Amino acid sequence: MPIEDLHVVEEVPLFSLRGVTKNFGAVKALQGVDFDVYAGEVVAVVGDNGAGKTTLVKVLAGDHRATSGEILYQGEPVTIDSPADARELGIATVFQDLALCDNLDVVANLFLGREVGDMALDEVEMEQRAWALLRQLSAKLPTVRTPIASLSGGQRQTVAIARSLVGEPTVVVLDEPTAALGVAQTAEVLNLIERLRESGLGVVLISHNMADVQAVADRVVVLRLGKNNGEFRVPDVSYEQIIAAITGATDNAVSRRAQASTEGRQP
Amino acid sequence: MTTNRPTPGSQTSLREANRARIVDAVKLHGGLTQVELVGATGLSPASVSNIVKELAAQGILNTTQSTRSGRRAQFVTLAHELGLVGGVHIAQRHLRVVVADVAQQVVAEHHLPLAKDHRADAELGRLARMFADMFESLDTDLSEMLAVGVAIEAPIDKRTGLISRPGIMRGWDGVNVSESLGEALNCRVFVDNNCNLGALAEYRRGAARRRGDMIYINASEGIGAGIVLGGKVWRGNHGIAGELGHVTVDEQGPLCRCGKRGCLEMYVGASAIIEPLRSDRRGLKLQDVVSRAVGGEARFVRAIADAGHRIGVATADLCNILDPERVVVSGDLANAGEILLGPLRHTLERSLLVAPENAPEVIQGQLGNRAEVLGAVSYAIDQLSVLTDGAVSDSSQRAHTTHTKAVAS
Repeated sequence: MPIEDLHVVEEVPLFSLRGVTKNFGAVKALQGVDFDVYAGEVVAVVGDNGAGKTTLVKVLAGDHRATSGEILYQGEPVTIDSPADARELGIATVFQDLALCDNLDVVANLFLGREVGDMALDEVEMEQRAWALLRQLSAKLPTVRTPIASLSGGQRQTVAIARSLVGEPTVVVLDEPTAALGVAQTAEVLNLIERLRESGLGVVLISHNMADVQAVADRVVVLRLGKNNGEFRVPDVSYEQIIAAITGATDNAVSRRAQASTEGRQP
Repeated sequence: MTTNRPTPGSQTSLREANRARIVDAVKLHGGLTQVELVGATGLSPASVSNIVKELAAQGILNTTQSTRSGRRAQFVTLAHELGLVGGVHIAQRHLRVVVADVAQQVVAEHHLPLAKDHRADAELGRLARMFADMFESLDTDLSEMLAVGVAIEAPIDKRTGLISRPGIMRGWDGVNVSESLGEALNCRVFVDNNCNLGALAEYRRGAARRRGDMIYINASEGIGAGIVLGGKVWRGNHGIAGELGHVTVDEQGPLCRCGKRGCLEMYVGASAIIEPLRSDRRGLKLQDVVSRAVGGEARFVRAIADAGHRIGVATADLCNILDPERVVVSGDLANAGEILLGPLRHTLERSLLVAPENAPEVIQGQLGNRAEVLGAVSYAIDQLSVLTDGAVSDSSQRAHTTHTKAVAS
């Protein structure tokens, strides 16, 4: 029997945004944006400065409430009004500044605000869980009892990503994880992203670095001036096509198809 | 191997285990301070200090004074007095870089996923910076680098140092890797095809150890073979030998990146396997196909089995011509194990001239996806020893691939 004839199940995305709009006063940061994340895939969000990438992430993370539009979790409509809601739904976000405490050690940072233990801290349990998390990411950290200040940029990123996994999320959002890192450290972070993908998490990757995006992402969603400006599967797209969509150099297949279908519907 | 091992549970065996722990930790991290070693091994600071002193005296470890967070610290690395050798594997979708000592012990390793159709200029720059980073983590600098071996997924013509068939790796056509990387790193760089070097590694220290003629097949994004005949890697006149992926299956078939029609790669390459399996908007990678096949999903098992069958047909031709003792299969697709090897073996045996009981053994590689990079290290060391023996080192010849034949021990 040819492969194509076997039964194929279309999977439901973990999270979908449908027609999400976000206004800051008169500024329309997002205008009717559609966005999907599936389990076990890396979807990159790219766009110029001010394209709405960070706003999109903040809507997912619960920092901003969408002005209008729908958010679906496994096909069911949900509302994300606060970061706590987002966490509840399994969305973990690692922001660009990482928000680690430099003077605390790795374990304390991982469990900050979620310390284990009833009356006293259960340091042993926390350290064991910290090692388990770091091993899951194949992270190269010599010890978990050094202060964050003494770690390299790549190791800090690793700790920040490991911390996002403490709450056992289904989607991890990474905002510019390789910005300002050296080559070896970038390699570490990209491997980490592949680890997350392999363990079945949905990964949203925001990046300006097209080489990184094309190396690890499965899909690329391009935003331009707060609107969708193309979605590509990485194996089918060239660097030039992505750049063209980011800069708006051409009208692309997606916008043309959308236009054709709306024109077709109107008599 | 050692006959007089200490009794289990004794003080001596405990001490030996602790020494191994420390050496392993140093190997894993490249270099560590003694304080970090305490954290990494869970041993007491006193034991770490004692054992490090002992191992340094034996010439296994090397210690240097340095500072960490403003405090004085003993920085511990593996001893590498004779210098270091780099190994690089440039694949279609990833880059693997190792630094090893001349005893081929890997002391630092990095892996980096790459964009498809990556280009030589960007990646060579990245490679040079990565080596600099790795040497820094080993607390040394690039002047200690003796040579670099590079395994590249395209046939390399020894005479020109260029890829002998343009189109197979588009971004690297017309680039003399050994020259430009040699300039950036200021040391000799030796370049060869990835399958040739994978074959070398599996032959020397992997699945084909102490065997006669063997064929090494790497099935990943693309597919290729390396041939070892009479203990030597057979490269052919233009480095094309073993280009299994571009064996013609159907002369009227689809157009291949090499410019011919109906190459084997158009049927068993990653995109040929993935395309019919893609069901929704999600991305699918070769590793996903393999893991879902191993997980027992019928469509994926079948797709890999079909690929095994096709590779078997092509390999049978090769085996009928060369009559090897072993066929070692490696690469991402080989991680599927018997799902790939079973049909491959079955098809192979059906088309062989020799009796089934004399058929070459078809087995999975032992070095996994590190075969190529380890082969690159061995290759660089071989070339070096050839040069020093023949005393042909001449500064004007630096950074040029020599015509010296590789020797397989």
